[in-house]
Amino acid sequence: MSRGTKTLAIAQKELSAYFKSPIAYIILIVTITVFNIFFYMIIDQNREATLRDVFAVMEFMFVFLVPLLTMRVFAEEKASGTMEFLMTTPTSNTSIVLGKYLGSLLFFSLLLGLTVIYYFVIEYFGQPDRWPVATGFLGLWLEGGLFVAVGILTSSWTRSQVVAAITSYVILFMLYFSIIFIPYAPEAFVPVIRYIGTLPHAANFSVGLITLADAVYYVSGIALCLTLTRISVENRLWR
Amino acid sequence: MIVAQNISKNFGKIEALKSVSFEIGKGEIVGFLGKNGAGKTTLMRILTSYLPPASGKVLIAGQDIGKNSLRIRSKVGYLPENPPLYQNMTVREYLKFAARLKDIPARDTRACIDKVLDDCRLLYVQNRLIAHLSKGYKQRIGIAQAIIHEPEVLILDEPTSGLDPVQIQQVRKLIKDIEHKRTVLLSTHILSEIELIARRILIINRGELIKDRPLEGLLKDEGAATLEEVFLKLNPPQAQRIDD
Repeated sequence: MSRGTKTLAIAQKELSAYFKSPIAYIILIVTITVFNIFFYMIIDQNREATLRDVFAVMEFMFVFLVPLLTMRVFAEEKASGTMEFLMTTPTSNTSIVLGKYLGSLLFFSLLLGLTVIYYFVIEYFGQPDRWPVATGFLGLWLEGGLFVAVGILTSSWTRSQVVAAITSYVILFMLYFSIIFIPYAPEAFVPVIRYIGTLPHAANFSVGLITLADAVYYVSGIALCLTLTRISVENRLWR
Repeated sequence: MIVAQNISKNFGKIEALKSVSFEIGKGEIVGFLGKNGAGKTTLMRILTSYLPPASGKVLIAGQDIGKNSLRIRSKVGYLPENPPLYQNMTVREYLKFAARLKDIPARDTRACIDKVLDDCRLLYVQNRLIAHLSKGYKQRIGIAQAIIHEPEVLILDEPTSGLDPVQIQQVRKLIKDIEHKRTVLLSTHILSEIELIARRILIINRGELIKDRPLEGLLKDEGAATLEEVFLKLNPPQAQRIDD
């Protein structure tokens, strides 16, 4: 059986695990309801056919939401003993990590996909500039992909879902709010802090700018988290 | 089939295994005894490549598990002490997932699942959620996932725990049926159980292998009628400390 097939088997199992617990439905319903309320208020107050401010609110909400999605990914397997099953089957650690990431990313994509309807609403009532809407969604998806990767990494560190979620929050808050520390940081660190923060990157996407630096930021961030997750899974002292 | 050479393992300052060596031939059924905390589970985890040994080497079917871990894992079936089950899956879904991870070709998956469902008497509950099943069923699902890919080596950590006498007999028969075809290493606390299944006994105490003998030879050496007498002689109750 190829490595890809096993990765898909794990991704499928992860995705269906979301829908087998009420948490998935609660998260979907609550999130979409909150998004809808903000969408209505922003469009009502701005009277502009753009989703830029809606994207900013969604990005902020994902900081709180994604750790709730990813906290169980490895922590639950460790606590219930199924990690011992996974790790003694002829499945490589890379397949396990990629499969789990893919499963969670698919769930996140579904959630984000449900918000595409906002585009159709503004299209119906106005003449939105389509390009920034498309790149804005791409930016949010990449950002979600990074948040999911961070969440999976922290979940691989512990058998407690609460600890996994809190650790995720700490890292995501640091990434999201990093630019507010700029006035207090030494001059030399300013460019680094600006690059590490998620806000400037997502802001570019939401105004229709796709730059290589932003794409590299997300893709390399995801790759780094998944590599660290693989190392963490491999490190048998933690089991 | 299984060769363990000077396996040692420590967790911090605790020495869980001290230079344990043994060889188990093809088709042997070996019982593995020891008190709680003696190192049984640690050794089984090392044999299944879940944990690496601190020193020493394990060969399964002639291959070093440190080097060819993935290839060897497909030849080993393992039932951990607590059956590793996904509570939100049905029995069939779980076995299908196990089959996919254990290199069973897609065209054979259905037949393999049907066979283990039948062997482990799980047909009636195949579409029930694992969370809703009794401990006995869960234990048998754990055994089913261990044997689904027809492994050459089967490592069972307390396969009969939580089962009623009828189920114990069924598991015993299941293991007996595969004698000569597979190599089985099993641990249990039920000594009468092991007497009925195993031909050879390994006894471990505080991380050291203190006996490795065929069952009859062991009883004769110790002048005992049952394995329980041997076990109690080697682990006298009055010598047990509180921290054991």
